[in-house]
Amino acid sequence: MTILEAVVVDKITKIYGALVALDNVSLRVRKGEVFSLLGPNGAGKTTLVEILECLRTPTSGEAYVMGHSIRDPAGVKRIKEVIGVLPQDFNAVDELTVLENITLVASAKHVKSDVRPIMEELGLWEVRKRLFSKLSGGMKRRVGIAMALVGDPELVFLDEPTTGLDPQARRETWRFIRNLRRGGKTVVLTTHYMEEAERLSDRVAFIVKGRIALEGGVTELVSRFGGGYVVTIEADDEMLLRVSEGGYAIEKQSAGRAQVRIGGWAEMVKLYTLLQSHGFDGVIEVKPASLESIFLSLVGARISETGDLV
Amino acid sequence: MRALTTLVNMLFRSWHRSWTAVFFGILFPVMLLLVFGSIFGAPSTPNYSLYVRNLDINEHGKASQLSAAFVEILNNSVFEVILLSPDETPRQTAFAPLRILTIPKGFTSQLINRTIQTRIDIMIDTSLRFVEMSGGEIGPEERENITRGLSRLRAFRESIAAENVKLVLEGSPDDPTLQPLAGVIHTLASRFEMALLNATNSIDLETVTTVKRQLRAVDYYLPGYIAAFVMTNGVIGVSGVVSDFRRRGLVKLLATTPLSKTTWITALIISQTLVSMILLTVMLAMGWIVFRISALPDLYSLIIILVGTVSYTSLGVLIGSVLKEPGAVSALSNAVAFPLMFLSGAFWPLEIMPELMQQIARLTPLYYFHTALRQTLIAGLPSEAIIPSAVMATMTVVVFSLAYYISKWKDF
Ligand SMILES: Nc1ncnc2c1ncn2[C@@H]1O[C@H](COP(=O)(O)OP(=O)(O)OP(=O)(O)O)[C@@H](O)[C@H]1O
Ligand SMILES: [Mg+2]
Repeated sequence: MTILEAVVVDKITKIYGALVALDNVSLRVRKGEVFSLLGPNGAGKTTLVEILECLRTPTSGEAYVMGHSIRDPAGVKRIKEVIGVLPQDFNAVDELTVLENITLVASAKHVKSDVRPIMEELGLWEVRKRLFSKLSGGMKRRVGIAMALVGDPELVFLDEPTTGLDPQARRETWRFIRNLRRGGKTVVLTTHYMEEAERLSDRVAFIVKGRIALEGGVTELVSRFGGGYVVTIEADDEMLLRVSEGGYAIEKQSAGRAQVRIGGWAEMVKLYTLLQSHGFDGVIEVKPASLESIFLSLVGARISETGDLV
Repeated sequence: MRALTTLVNMLFRSWHRSWTAVFFGILFPVMLLLVFGSIFGAPSTPNYSLYVRNLDINEHGKASQLSAAFVEILNNSVFEVILLSPDETPRQTAFAPLRILTIPKGFTSQLINRTIQTRIDIMIDTSLRFVEMSGGEIGPEERENITRGLSRLRAFRESIAAENVKLVLEGSPDDPTLQPLAGVIHTLASRFEMALLNATNSIDLETVTTVKRQLRAVDYYLPGYIAAFVMTNGVIGVSGVVSDFRRRGLVKLLATTPLSKTTWITALIISQTLVSMILLTVMLAMGWIVFRISALPDLYSLIIILVGTVSYTSLGVLIGSVLKEPGAVSALSNAVAFPLMFLSGAFWPLEIMPELMQQIARLTPLYYFHTALRQTLIAGLPSEAIIPSAVMATMTVVVFSLAYYISKWKDF
């Protein structure tokens, strides 16, 4: 029997004392896809992936990873042989070199093959003799990713792999993740960056306060939730007033900036004509509707750069 | 198996690359051994210097015969005699005690006169006894003659002006050897006097050196420090490693691999055993090089160190596992290690501590560790180590089980 799902989560609930961290969560991750769990801080992302990594025991519910139950000791053994994990805020051993750190997990995973190819791919082979403590933040994260990937796992869990990285290091990490997908691996990613989920994943699940708000394919979701475009207008309050008088719903507004959702190009031309008739000569920006706009209309809030719900 | 050896190797490497771990684990105890071993250890060779101011000299400054002979006798005894001229005062040097013996003017003449007096006393006394004992054998006339002769002698004795010779020894009230040395000088003076009287000694003293070496301070400190630092390496060092691995997410990462908790704890114990062996070797080498203690560990003492390492590594694992915050872990491990160190008597001989402290020491587990180690490694009395090592073994079983069941490999 071949299974199509890498992960099946079936009505998982996790309660810490009085706090319901996961509330009856169900979802599926297909083999070979990049799946993002997208949610603000404290949403329960780590709790969920760590249940799948067999690091936490759910209060109730069941989950299968690569066809093995996380509740069955024999299943847990099999799961540990096929997964690769990057824990959140991970750091390797300061006093060991890059190569020694990777060798350490390789032996824990009973990996017999050479660790060199994966290190070369991540650009770590040249710095293999450097102590971990002497690496830059971006390099440290790469070592963590290498430690997750060593031993060629079928399923990779990356818990916030780009949090705290500068934009360039973040883009680098995205490239590695895309390569993983090309290599046929299944990746479960947690993040609070909309852009990251949108760019990398085949499918996403929004998770807020322990519940799945929405799950689906990225392109499918965008079209299901209206598609269209988001226009950002930079103008004074009076001009924005004219826009709403013209029958457009302003979705988001902050000092001198407003966003308006439109259906297509014909509408776009009408809006622009309206603006010009009131003497507008400022900047407008047009973007296809995105996960961010869906999240906003669904949850009624945005996720800030630091991961908080605002 | 390969996972275990790699893990041990990596734990050991990260240990020896951490400057603080090596400093507090190895160098610090060695420094303590050198410092305290030297201060209290090598018994400082006592100082027997003696300044002698001889006032019994003629107009050319030459010492009289008997005074010179007496100085010679002093110098041939334990004393190192330094002669002072009559008006010279010695300079105080460093911490050496200052003692000055003054031989008075007229030492020779007074001594001769006193000797004559003593001889006369003996003669009179002997004659009287002789007369008394012979009873009727001596006629009244002879008695008369003897009595007359004796009274002549008495008159002669009275005519000799003689007082006791007065030697003066000056010293500091802080010099603990002043009194015993005064006794030595007094004895030498009496012997000198006896010799002048042609008397012989009737009591002899023979000094015998026994084979057994007296235990020195280093003998106490060496096993004490080894035990104490095997303890701190485990309690403070291992708890630090465990909490650091937890904080970094390394324990989580390892727990998602097929590696088991048993392998992880075993690796910690083995790497700590390596550390303990290094500590033992370095301490014994230092003990031999600096203090000439030749203690070669036998199998029993190695087992004691192994058991100690297992129990204190387990305690470290336990502390590093129950508390989440690295700050709390280091606070608790210090709060456990330091009282153990100071209360157990690992740092100073229990015999010099008050009775209450001795009882408290017997309640600490470390007491049994350093006692067992001292008995096997230094004293060569393995039978004395049986009870302490049994206590250690019990503690090890308890702490190891606690550490094993309480430390988590899941639900952190
Ligand atoms: N071991 C625990 N004991 C008690 N509460 C916990 C525990 N772990 C997590 N929580 C709580 O459960 C909730 C979900 O936490 P979780 O770490 O899963 O969120 P997250 O989505 O990963 O957040 P972040 O983006 O901050 O990593 C939070 O409110 C958190 O405080
Ligand atoms: Mg998290």
